[in-house]
Amino acid sequence: MKITVIILQAVLLIAASPFISGFIKKLKNHIRMRKGAPLLQPYHNIVKLFGKDETISKDSSYIFRIAPYVLITTAVAAALLSPSFFPSFQISGTGDIFIIIFIFALGRFFTALAGLDTGSTFGGMGSSREMFISALAEPAFLVSVFAASLAAGNTGISSLLPGGVFKISLVCSGLAFYLVLLAETARVPVDNQETHLELTMIHEAMILEYSGKSLALIELAGHIKQLVLLSLLVYIFIPVGSGTGFYIIKIVAVAAVTAIIEVALAKMRLFRVVDYLIFSFVLSLAAVTAFIMGV
Amino acid sequence: MKYLEFKIAVLERTGLDERAFRESGSEIYIAANLENFHGICLLLHSILSSPVMLYFAEDNVKTSGVYTLRCGFLGKKIQRWVFVVVDIPKDNLNFPAISKDIVSAQLFEREIKEMFGLIPAGSPDVRRLRLHDEVWPDGYFPLRKEFVKPEKTNNTGKYYVFDRIEGEGVFEVPVGPVHAGIIGPGHFRFSVAGEPIINLELRLGFAHRGAEKLFEGKSAKEAQIFSECISGDAAFAHSLAFSLAVEQAAGIDVKENVKINRAIGLELERIYNHINDIGGMAIDVAFSYSSTLASIVKENILRLNEKLSKHRYLKGSNGVGQCALIKDKESRVCLLEVLSGAKTDIDLLKNILFSSVSFMDKVDTTGTLHRKTAEDFGVTGLAGRASGLELDLRRVFPGIYEKTSFEIIRGDKGDVLSRLNVRFNELAVALRVITELSGQINFSGKEDSPEAIIISGTGLGAVEGWRGPIIYWVKIGKEGKIERCKIVDASFNNWQALSCCVHGNIIPDFPVCNKSFDFSYSGGDL
Repeated sequence: MKITVIILQAVLLIAASPFISGFIKKLKNHIRMRKGAPLLQPYHNIVKLFGKDETISKDSSYIFRIAPYVLITTAVAAALLSPSFFPSFQISGTGDIFIIIFIFALGRFFTALAGLDTGSTFGGMGSSREMFISALAEPAFLVSVFAASLAAGNTGISSLLPGGVFKISLVCSGLAFYLVLLAETARVPVDNQETHLELTMIHEAMILEYSGKSLALIELAGHIKQLVLLSLLVYIFIPVGSGTGFYIIKIVAVAAVTAIIEVALAKMRLFRVVDYLIFSFVLSLAAVTAFIMGV
Repeated sequence: MKYLEFKIAVLERTGLDERAFRESGSEIYIAANLENFHGICLLLHSILSSPVMLYFAEDNVKTSGVYTLRCGFLGKKIQRWVFVVVDIPKDNLNFPAISKDIVSAQLFEREIKEMFGLIPAGSPDVRRLRLHDEVWPDGYFPLRKEFVKPEKTNNTGKYYVFDRIEGEGVFEVPVGPVHAGIIGPGHFRFSVAGEPIINLELRLGFAHRGAEKLFEGKSAKEAQIFSECISGDAAFAHSLAFSLAVEQAAGIDVKENVKINRAIGLELERIYNHINDIGGMAIDVAFSYSSTLASIVKENILRLNEKLSKHRYLKGSNGVGQCALIKDKESRVCLLEVLSGAKTDIDLLKNILFSSVSFMDKVDTTGTLHRKTAEDFGVTGLAGRASGLELDLRRVFPGIYEKTSFEIIRGDKGDVLSRLNVRFNELAVALRVITELSGQINFSGKEDSPEAIIISGTGLGAVEGWRGPIIYWVKIGKEGKIERCKIVDASFNNWQALSCCVHGNIIPDFPVCNKSFDFSYSGGDL
């Protein structure tokens, strides 16, 4: 029974994930006094891409071909582990929060390799930037989650869930987690998903060579990753209300905040991202200290 | 310095006869020979402290058996264009290069070499500029009168060699000529060590259409339409510079109302382009809210343009001896209304941009073009002024601007922020100037300018477009047909500024540097 619900939950999460991207895009355009693409546009894009042939550079190796599958597999695996629509059915002992982080790291590793694989300059540039950023993002990520698990006394996802009350440590680590989330999902102020300027791209530059079905898989994996991270954020760090209804409200609220941030800020200079991620790291450390102090 | 003092100084120091001077309006032609050409050019360059503004050849082989070379400088203080003219016999095509001493002449000499087959002896760089080696066979010189098209223009087996920067960890990033946005074609070759740019080499010419050749044999009226297509975002300025040149050549007087209307058109073009670039800079650093606001202002101005001239980009509103944008009091009211709305929006936009820490951090100290570099390469217009150069044709030849509160806007640091500031301040000046000028239009006298009669002659027309000076030199033959038309858009020399300003900047900052200049591919490539 539990297994069925968890699989159902993961399927729901995967199905809903493009909607969140569409929602953020729509809201951004609304703020900018534009009509914007329909809410369901990300679905149309994926369907369209699945129906297209791909072009694969003859200079690329098998890495380029398997990377999208690795990426989608990691995303689905993370979706299976993540709490979302039916949190009460979470099994204990199936893995902990660090697993999710490292699953994503695996996906990123292959994306970066694939970026290098075709030998195009933009791919290499993107991979180098992505690695540079993730080298700083991951520690901040780990420490923020560590702060939360200190409070729970356990790193298992199910034990992290019933967060309880707002504490300073929780606020600090939640904020740190959110800053990293923006970097991980390639959003302003770290990256810009909307740009056409190859020279400024980070995530997009790595996948520039992809087309057709592979690109569809990569895009879907991106949507799933975003929703998984958002789910973790709202469950672990925003302990208000429980149940499916509250979950959806919280996700939409965080997505709306993200949209507003994206419109209101300019992208940082590449090397300023260091300061940004270090700030996130320091916040996480503060959270750990705050927990030890008992606040 | 007065003109007379200048003339005496030049005569003294060159030992020329006074008959070597020929004056025509604001143009002075100094006849030189192959021996003293180089010396006179250097002298003018230093006395006038002017870069080479235009420098071109003309095929007179049929009539007198020579190619005529004209090298033009701008005398800011004497308010004249000074040309050095030299004839090159058709049986010895060498002439002494001045580009080894004057950097701003370099591109012009390369152009002369590829278009006419004249050889600048001693020039440090004789590579082709627009007729790419890969596709254009040797021995075909398009601007010669006897030119016939090569039968085949592909794959000559040659290729272009970029500057190689070597060292550990240095690699090349090729970008273009096809870009991701809807912009012109140009190839950028970056040499980078990690993210910082060590060298940037531009390769342009992909948008070369043979514009100068296309002008030849056309009547002034036909050519007017062509001039509007040289650089679409400066259609009015190009068409205006062309008509000024024709008017100068044919000795046509222009009425006061026409002058006012032309100034208004020129400033309207400046407004919509400046605001477009400000929005473009914002979008290049992913600051999208403000760029939306900028696009609204631009659209309002374009609609105003359409109302006034029946064309959003002011095409077709200018002709030889005529220009009527503000035809009646109604259109003046409409103009002032739109502009006052634009002013409010621009102030708001400025507020948003300057109060955003993340935006200011991105533009401040980015892409610095030093004053000396700008001076040497002959960078003109907005790009030069933002680096502190004092060059604005509206100041040198004020004309109708004398009756307004026009002031020259300059920056000092030469970075992206400085160019942004110059843009905002020029917008303010443009809005003010239009308002003042529109009050001076005289609607009472019904004046129908008769169709101008074009007689033969040569003339120069220059206007300060929104990018910088746009210069046309036109020679009209006996039947009113154009024999030679030299076009210089500010972008031609200014492109070099871009490759200088990015040194030490990181690659992701390149797009905003590029946008802060916003040079024209088609204007430079002709």
